[in-house]
Amino acid sequence: MKIVIFLLAVIPFVAQLLMIPLVNHINPIIMGFPLFHFWLLIWMILTPIFTFGIYLIQKSNGGFKE
Amino acid sequence: MKGNFTALIITTVIVLAVIFIGFLAGRNKSSRSSVEEWSVGGRRLGAFFIWFLIGADIYTAYTFLGLTSTAFKGGSIAFFATPYVILAYPIAYFFLPKIWSVAKEHHFMTLADYIKGRFDSKLFSTLIAIDGVLMLIPYIDLQLSGILDTVTFAGTGYVNVTFVVIVSFLLVAFYTFFSGIKAPTYTAIIKDILVWIIMLILVVSLPIIHFHSWIGMIHTAAHKVPQLLTLPTTGPKGIPWFSSAAFISALALFMWPHTATGVFSSRDANSLRKNSIVLPFYNIVLMLVTFLGIAAFLVIPSDTNPRVAFLTLIHNSYGGVMQGLAYSTIALASLVPCSIMAIGASNLFANNIYRDLINPKASSGRLTIVTRYMVFVVIGMALLFGLLFPSALISLQLMGVSGIVQTFPAIVFSLYWRNLSKEAALTGFIAGMLTIFYVYSTGNSYGFYEGFLGLVVNIIILLILNPMFSSKAKNRSNDVMKTLFSK
Repeated sequence: MKIVIFLLAVIPFVAQLLMIPLVNHINPIIMGFPLFHFWLLIWMILTPIFTFGIYLIQKSNGGFKE
Repeated sequence: MKGNFTALIITTVIVLAVIFIGFLAGRNKSSRSSVEEWSVGGRRLGAFFIWFLIGADIYTAYTFLGLTSTAFKGGSIAFFATPYVILAYPIAYFFLPKIWSVAKEHHFMTLADYIKGRFDSKLFSTLIAIDGVLMLIPYIDLQLSGILDTVTFAGTGYVNVTFVVIVSFLLVAFYTFFSGIKAPTYTAIIKDILVWIIMLILVVSLPIIHFHSWIGMIHTAAHKVPQLLTLPTTGPKGIPWFSSAAFISALALFMWPHTATGVFSSRDANSLRKNSIVLPFYNIVLMLVTFLGIAAFLVIPSDTNPRVAFLTLIHNSYGGVMQGLAYSTIALASLVPCSIMAIGASNLFANNIYRDLINPKASSGRLTIVTRYMVFVVIGMALLFGLLFPSALISLQLMGVSGIVQTFPAIVFSLYWRNLSKEAALTGFIAGMLTIFYVYSTGNSYGFYEGFLGLVVNIIILLILNPMFSSKAKNRSNDVMKTLFSK
């Protein structure tokens, strides 16, 4: 499970910081957004979903110690 | 230019109503009975209020005016703010609950308090506090220039703009002094509702007014100004700048004194986790607004001062009522965050400079009063700098994020790394600060964001020095370290 948490935490950073050169294009325009902005928009929605995934895993693994 | 009378009246009424609510928020005397009540609401705020409080910290007038102005000038580089805020939350998800529980256990009011407790070093905590204040006052001034521009658009020819701005800032200082953290909490609710409604109306209607539809706007931009829709591949602000600026700003976001205040107000750690999951959705409206900077480039005269591009677009597109609603939204987005920023800075002054250095034996009643009066000092300094020496501020404003992020290793690494030594963390912090001063003064950052270079130096120095001091750190222990590591 640790590896899943690690991936859920790291993938948004890779997608939004390191993969920018691959998406730095206008076309195709998707749903009214140039590719570059569409990519940012998608990750704006996926990142909190990933964080929610981490939350669920941690919670089912006995919750949080504090 | 002449203001719009209808817009001026609407803005005045809404702003006065919110200021009234700011006072009303503190009608219960207990809200100023102790520092803990006044600054962090007795640490009793649930997830709902934390959403608004942290939202108030982050989505300010400067974000709306600053990002549209960057987009107007430089196109898509302005969208670095999207990954910046989005990525700040997964980082926050992990460390906020931890620092929150240490702060609750040891009654810390500021991040500098934590540094003092964690490393037993007043020198270190004082430097962190000075860094915080030094970077925060220019940030308050960004809000000041936001409201200055807004009142200029609404009221030129009807009122003395500078006078109105001074009065509104003083009223904010007064209600903050009176109500403490409750004032920004309650006023933020109104501010956020207005931001969502008004900004969404603008985002939907401005493209329709000028380009028939959103798609029409994007196609016009793709056809006429394609260079604004992608990042430049050459020049100082290309992809490396975009990614490093987003990453550094994300790390810095919860290191700001005022965001820390918001976090410490939380009732429990889980409210912070929940907010780290939901707050990113707030950013959708911000991203859409950034496009309006590109729209402005297509619509308004190209010699417009970028600073007022968004306001000019609003001014040229709507009648008085809509202008008034938009101006009051931006005015609130400037005043509400000021209040919480003033609380953050006041706490640094009172706890880490007054109590730690000047009067260590200050009673808690005395400390409460000093903290509250510091609001006037902070707002007064912001007004003084903002109105008298606007140009001197610009360099500090540019440096803000870069200067704040240098505290990240000391604050966040030390939550997880028991044997991180004071010596290594402090030297790294100083080296990082010197690096950014150097980079800003030479003006060459090799295509990266300045704070990134500072942080790299900071962390390298820390890693090199720490083995020399780690045995000393191993033998050291204190209450804060026990809270963190004895589980």
